[in-house]
Amino acid sequence: MAEISFPLPDLGEGLIEATVLEWLVSPGEQVERNQPLVEVETTKSAVELPSPQAGKVVRIYGGPGDKINVGEPLIVFEVPDNTAGIVGTVPKEEAPKRRVRLSAVLDED
Amino acid sequence: MSNSILENVDAAGDNTADDTVTNTAADSPASTTVMSMQQALNRALDEVLAENPKAVIFGEDCGRLGGVFRITDGLQAKHGPQRVFDTPLAESGILGMSVGLAMAGFHPIPEVQFDGFAYPAINQIVCQIARMNYRSRGTMPMPITLRVPSFGGIRAPEHHGESLEALFAHVPGLKVVSPSNPHEAYHLLKYAATRPDPVIFMEPKSRYWQKGEVDVSRHDAAGSPTGAKVMREGRHLTLVAWGAMVSRCLQVAELAAEDGIDIEVLDLRWLKPIDAEALAASVRKTRRAVVVHEAPLTSGLGAEVAQLITQSCFDTLKAPVERVTGFDVPYPSGDLEDEYIPNIDRILFGIQRVLEYKRG
Repeated sequence: MAEISFPLPDLGEGLIEATVLEWLVSPGEQVERNQPLVEVETTKSAVELPSPQAGKVVRIYGGPGDKINVGEPLIVFEVPDNTAGIVGTVPKEEAPKRRVRLSAVLDED
Repeated sequence: MSNSILENVDAAGDNTADDTVTNTAADSPASTTVMSMQQALNRALDEVLAENPKAVIFGEDCGRLGGVFRITDGLQAKHGPQRVFDTPLAESGILGMSVGLAMAGFHPIPEVQFDGFAYPAINQIVCQIARMNYRSRGTMPMPITLRVPSFGGIRAPEHHGESLEALFAHVPGLKVVSPSNPHEAYHLLKYAATRPDPVIFMEPKSRYWQKGEVDVSRHDAAGSPTGAKVMREGRHLTLVAWGAMVSRCLQVAELAAEDGIDIEVLDLRWLKPIDAEALAASVRKTRRAVVVHEAPLTSGLGAEVAQLITQSCFDTLKAPVERVTGFDVPYPSGDLEDEYIPNIDRILFGIQRVLEYKRG
């Protein structure tokens, strides 16, 4: 298993921090991609952050009222080592299947 | 047999690299480890960084994340952010920076995250990297090892499953290589990363997770990471392939054996320059050949392979060289992938066409 850290992104143009309002997930919970993770407030608005990926939540940073700087860790996921990258899936190794049979008279000259 | 093939075209004539990579101690005990191609490539890069202080690795997500395929995993933490670092999402910048670093004496090992994103960097690759040594009369070699996760097979969206080998192989000044299993990946990458010339290193991304035995102490009995390699010996027909298609051809060879057809599988490995001697040696014996690739048929590398075989084996060939390839369409995403990539039955059909051929 590997841990992947997701830092707080810039939620507006040139914002430097956000305040945690409420965590919508907790450590140990399995989350899906795009599932709402946390509600935060910036100087511009309050927004829900969707999960950038599926995985198990290992750690969350900051409780309600805490400020987090853009670029600092927000949440850490645990994912299996053999997941594909940001796109695609790991191909399954299957026993070879065939429908075509070969037939030939081979002269061994 | 073919050890000289690459040395002959090395622009900068560096002949020190072989000693560091190839097997000079044939008697040494094998130290085989089972690892995935990801792990084999990661280990090779780790060793290259340790052995060559001028080697630097960079690309999109190569640093902190360790690459979207985990190939550079842990390398930034171990070797530092000066030697393994992230770049902006700009392939022309990644390859343009490689030119400057190479001019300054570094050995850049850039990554283009997916084959389809090599297109934005074609100007830097073709007009600068491939030509700088020629343009400067040999005073400015470009020791750049460009890693390109390549080919299809992972159900990715558009731009993530291209087969660009013919495009790169057509450009004078570039070398092109593709490993087929973890052992080849480890040794070919270590070799490529010591070349004084630009090498396009095409990693078959559908094979990243498959495990295999890797003997890090030596490459093979012949001890050479140059030229082609016979992966299975046979008498009746030669299957020529590279990258991910090699393992599929080995499966086909096992199935053909059930029908009494004894197939030789030749892993071309180097797609520029192509090991014409190995092709000739194999097909002179089997007298029949089928070349298999994922790239579209028209002007694909299969045509070059077929011509080289015809040139050397015209008098002994039992049938024209057959090609089993992708189709002349943009690479399809998702489930259509299985219809595009040559499957076992299409390869068997190609073999049957050759076996049935009658001179007329």
